[in-house]
Amino acid sequence: MSGRPVYVDFAGYTENVPPSIPAAVQLATARLAGGRAARVAELPEWEELRQIASDIRAHTIQHMDAYLTKFEQNFTAAGGQIHFAATDKDACQIVTDIAKEHGVKTAVKSKSMATEEIGLNDALAKAGIQAIETDLGEYIIQLAGTGPSHILAPAVHLKKEEIADIFTEKLGVDAPPDPQQLTRIARETLRAEFLKADMGISGGNFLIAETGTLVMVTNEGNGRMVSTMPELQVAIVGFDKIIPDWESLTIFLKLLARSATGQKMSTYTQFITGPRRSDDEGGPKEFHIVIIDNGRSKILKDPVGRDVLKCIRCSACANNCPVYQNVGGFAYGWFISGPIGAIYTPQILDTQAARELPFASTLCGACGDVCPVKIPIPDILRHLRRRVAEGDEFAEPSMPASIRAAAGVTSFALSQAWLYRLGSKILLTVTSIIQPYPLTRWTKIRPLPAFSAKFRGWWKSRKDGAK
Amino acid sequence: MTNPVLENIRRSLGRTDRSPVGLRPAIYTPRQPQTVDAELSLFFDELQKLAGVGAVVNPADIAAKLKELVETQEIKKATLWHTPLIGKLGIEEMLRSLGVELVPENAPKTELAHCDLGVTEADYILPETGTIVLHASAEMPRATSLLPRVHLALTTPDMLRPDLHQVFAEGKGNSYMVFISGPSRTADIELTTALGVHGPKDLYVWMVRK
Amino acid sequence: MPKAQLFITCLADQFYTKTLQNMTELLERLGVELVFPPEQTCCGQPLFNNGFEDKTRAVARNFLRSFGQSDAPIVGPSGSCVGMVKHHYLELFPEGTPEHEQALDITSRIYEFTEYVVNVLKETDLGAVYPHKVTYHASCHYLREMGLKTEAKTLINAVQGLEFVQLHEEETCCGFGGAFSVTYPEVSGSMVGNKVKNIIASGAETVITTEPGCLMNIAGGLRKSESPIRAMHIIDLLATKEGAA
Repeated sequence: MSGRPVYVDFAGYTENVPPSIPAAVQLATARLAGGRAARVAELPEWEELRQIASDIRAHTIQHMDAYLTKFEQNFTAAGGQIHFAATDKDACQIVTDIAKEHGVKTAVKSKSMATEEIGLNDALAKAGIQAIETDLGEYIIQLAGTGPSHILAPAVHLKKEEIADIFTEKLGVDAPPDPQQLTRIARETLRAEFLKADMGISGGNFLIAETGTLVMVTNEGNGRMVSTMPELQVAIVGFDKIIPDWESLTIFLKLLARSATGQKMSTYTQFITGPRRSDDEGGPKEFHIVIIDNGRSKILKDPVGRDVLKCIRCSACANNCPVYQNVGGFAYGWFISGPIGAIYTPQILDTQAARELPFASTLCGACGDVCPVKIPIPDILRHLRRRVAEGDEFAEPSMPASIRAAAGVTSFALSQAWLYRLGSKILLTVTSIIQPYPLTRWTKIRPLPAFSAKFRGWWKSRKDGAK
Repeated sequence: MTNPVLENIRRSLGRTDRSPVGLRPAIYTPRQPQTVDAELSLFFDELQKLAGVGAVVNPADIAAKLKELVETQEIKKATLWHTPLIGKLGIEEMLRSLGVELVPENAPKTELAHCDLGVTEADYILPETGTIVLHASAEMPRATSLLPRVHLALTTPDMLRPDLHQVFAEGKGNSYMVFISGPSRTADIELTTALGVHGPKDLYVWMVRK
Repeated sequence: MPKAQLFITCLADQFYTKTLQNMTELLERLGVELVFPPEQTCCGQPLFNNGFEDKTRAVARNFLRSFGQSDAPIVGPSGSCVGMVKHHYLELFPEGTPEHEQALDITSRIYEFTEYVVNVLKETDLGAVYPHKVTYHASCHYLREMGLKTEAKTLINAVQGLEFVQLHEEETCCGFGGAFSVTYPEVSGSMVGNKVKNIIASGAETVITTEPGCLMNIAGGLRKSESPIRAMHIIDLLATKEGAA
């Protein structure tokens, strides 16, 4: 799954979710959400940390240009080469050009949602460059030819037997359905790729403006391989990943792993300031960072919607979302799923393409409770619902005219007591004969209680009787 | 030279390149350390939870411990940093006398990939999360702690730091730093933990103390 | 003698006459003099939550008018409806709008039923008798928007003869979500399916909720599963004196 969706058909997909998906996803989310809850219980200062993190992100967003400028200066002074890409096509062009300049045939990639956002693998393939995913989950879905079903654990929808089949078919090895064995096979196969790759492509979790440092938070070691083995490294990072300084990072590192997987710290966290300083050190001789915009600067105009840019990609929202747990990641139509996907995709794409996503929620609020940087996800969902239903300064309404008309009628009926009471009587009569639409959409799942609406009459007769 | 992305950002925020930057919100007070023994105990607890193997080692016992490691892990080839503590302890000579073939730490990566053991020092220790911190330089190559399947990190109690704040304050000037918290791991297959994905499968941390 | 206005909510008005009657009688028994403004219709939440903010205002104005005739506090049997008024009417009528003063007034004196009984009237034992195994589903807006974490359980635990059993995933959404239940019925169905599974596994004979919307959804889900477990609004539980003379 790469490239921007033309229309995210949440209704269509969720009419028929393959039953294996919720089962697999719930296994993952239960583990991850449980892990998070255990870590949170250990830290009495958790709420304080969330507030500070939220404040720092809000401050950074308000001064985004200044911090990016500082990062540019420091990273360049450290010997790094920085590029700014306005669109996804620009970003792909920059990376492809760098690759072509260096005669790159194969590149090894560590997990990067930004590269999925811009559709980099496809662009490189068109230019004859093979990009091999090395994060185990990404490697599996690349072999399988599908997209990610979860932000952190992209292959969570696949059972070990299915993964064994994929390895057997695509790698030509005898792969047993055992996670340890499958991991060993991946290690051996990918090690060869790491050692011979011409280029390493990575993402980045944070950009530290203070010193021009890229921070990579990983577990498997492939992130370290990608940033250490090839002579050339390119990191693709959304500009919203910038943070002011190292002190700020202390807060984010305390929150990130705990919120994401329930670990106190991920296995490997790298802090890379420019290319290697000597050949003996190892690491890339040339280090490029491509900072992408791809619609984020447009989001900055919206003081409510832009809180989405505080996100540190932990997936706690998805892990705690009962809607996500029952539909999985594919329902959200793009590389980013769960509640954060529901507020990101409609703002990056045009509203019409993703107009269903803000409604793909019961507004239960569990996501807002667990977000480590306190993004008010339910509020932003409603804010975007308004954009779809009524339009605002950023977009024309995109909800079908018939629904908007029905809303107008409803509004009128509910604002006039006499009309409301009349409507209530009509409903009582009609439903004693047939089930009209949209009630049929309720009753196809579960029965409806009987319409009664007798309170008003009861109150009145009581009052009259009491006189 | 204009940067269209920065210009777009400025326009959206209503800022210019002269707009001021307010003070970043304050951070809370960092953690205070307990006694050295308590910090070490915490560190080893956390390391063990991560399936790392930690120990306080007397310099006189290093030879025996190294022999044990080489035998149990079947070490044939090793690479090591030539840094002060490793030099003082005589690790290189010990490994040679155990019949281990030594590969220079700045050898090509294809050679280093055949090493079973990589020996480094650790520049800082963070007890709360069982983390060791390594810088990188010509004398301290990055691959030593990455390519071999067993990683042995040697350190001393004065490398203990109470919190991220101190590590960052001291370490931010380095061009490369890596936090290592246990062996390489994944849970991508059915959320089942598997160790030794791409990085080392076994991590040993020896705290050298008389 | 305290006075209060009855906010019956459009859902309870259509489907839960008994619950509203029980609410009336319980409050009167607690010594509250009740008023029922007959011009009330709906708080506007179904329109507001679906992005029709402009269209909500007409409905909200009717609410302000209906309940603005008396200065008595307003009590309703739903955390989400009360929450809509309390937490969103000032968004609809910010400073500078003609309705702002009225909205400030109304939002300062509106309560959900259990909130009113426990925190204002300071009552916990309403004399109910219900000798059964009972579990509790924490409704999302009641819990998170209204911040009512203990009130319902306090009242439930004061019921004579009642044995409380904990519901697994008590705070997980039941899948109602207002229009969500008809816009994405399959997802809603999966969610209520999970909730029903947990209710059955709890061993309870009855599940209590504070929300007419959740009640509709969960009761329907239980019936669909052909489960004998009863779903009840907390008001109906508190009005029950089962087995008492």
